[in-house]
Amino acid sequence: MSNWLAETYAVFAKDWKSEARNLYALNTLALFAITTLVLVSVGLGPMGVDAAGAQVLPFLLWIVLLFATSAGLPRAFVQEEETHTATALRLAARPSAVFWGKLAFSLSLTWGLEILVAPLFLAMVQLEVASPGQFVAALAAGGFGLAAASTVIAAIIAQARGRSTLFAVLSFPILIPLLLLVVELTRDAVGGFASDAVLRQLLLYDGTVAVAGAMLFPAIWNP
Amino acid sequence: MPSSHLATPAAETAAGPAPPGGTAPLGGADLRFRRVRRRFGRLTVLRGVSGQVGAGQVMLVTGANGSGKSTLLRCLAGLLAPDGGEIAYREGAGGGGDDPVLDAAERRRRIGYVAPDLALYEELTTEENLAFFSRLRGVPAERGPELLRRLDLPLDRPAGALSSGMRQKLRWAWALLHRPRLLLLDEPFQNLDTKGEGVVRDLLAAHLAGEAVAGIEGGIESEGEGAGPGIAVLAQPVDVELDPRWEVADHVQLAG
Repeated sequence: MSNWLAETYAVFAKDWKSEARNLYALNTLALFAITTLVLVSVGLGPMGVDAAGAQVLPFLLWIVLLFATSAGLPRAFVQEEETHTATALRLAARPSAVFWGKLAFSLSLTWGLEILVAPLFLAMVQLEVASPGQFVAALAAGGFGLAAASTVIAAIIAQARGRSTLFAVLSFPILIPLLLLVVELTRDAVGGFASDAVLRQLLLYDGTVAVAGAMLFPAIWNP
Repeated sequence: MPSSHLATPAAETAAGPAPPGGTAPLGGADLRFRRVRRRFGRLTVLRGVSGQVGAGQVMLVTGANGSGKSTLLRCLAGLLAPDGGEIAYREGAGGGGDDPVLDAAERRRRIGYVAPDLALYEELTTEENLAFFSRLRGVPAERGPELLRRLDLPLDRPAGALSSGMRQKLRWAWALLHRPRLLLLDEPFQNLDTKGEGVVRDLLAAHLAGEAVAGIEGGIESEGEGAGPGIAVLAQPVDVELDPRWEVADHVQLAG
């Protein structure tokens, strides 16, 4: 394993070890996901939804995922700054290893959340997916986009005051294109419509945010 | 308003600062900074501070609270960008003068840093903390436990459960992990008891002499980096207690 990969993996493994001890992100993600899932299922009632109503369900799924990740993922860098461990990390690790290690941690959390939430959601609202492969692709690509965007935003807000306000302000322009694309892709997957073009746009978004974040990160992270 | 000036013995000349203590820099490493300035909003903390120190030597930075000692060390560490002035740190077999100046990113990765604002992961044990940073720095895994034993620290206790004196020792272990040539020490003896201070003073003397500070130095030296006499920049309040083993090359006094 190259030095860079070893450093990146060390950051990823350290974040999971810390998370296993304090359970902050896991508790927050689980709390928000379960709360919003219950609210959605209770709101829809026992009769489920008709065909027209089913068009709304992909929106609801991604709102559940967005709320849960927005509550848990921004802590990635804020906690390092608040506990003053960022100084040690800054002095010991390459910025790119920190960025990709944190992104890998956020991605594993997001994908884990999706594996838990998506089947529960489908069961609770009695929604049948016509193209399961496309549905999984939407979850994977959308999850990557959420994790990448959250990591970049978290790195920026960790250096600023008024962090909660800033997260909302910065998230809006970055996450709206992602949500529009991923909801369309999920809706097409539910209806059984091919939407390769949307998937390509989503992958392009993911790549752009991740690469731009990696290029921007050293300037954010270092003085 | 805090101000700063260079005190004895490194007087500046038009061609640059004089060699520390009137001698040429020793082989291995060399730190020089000239007219370093730093403001925080309207508050000027550093007003053109200069100094120089070579391998095997100590630079003292003294001054009252708020005089800018920590700010200067953070600038030297590359953790804070100065508003003006030059910081030149070189290290290598050439002995400093002929080696290229390391940029701030490279300087950050090479130095050892002990400061009150430095914290390690409270939920991880002392050994896990050093194991993590060993992986980041490419240091043999055995080095962390060796340093912890040398500093009489428990290996299995979470960093968050350490006393303030133990935390200070852990900072020392973290700073010496990769055997850096340049040690930046901001109030490095705070919270230490007499025995603990004696141990870290021994470690500092060994660092300056380029001697082994743990039982596995051969493995580190074979990597080529970190071997040879070290440098220490030591920031303390005005009542710093000098150690007979230190060769003080420069003394920067910051006015509060």
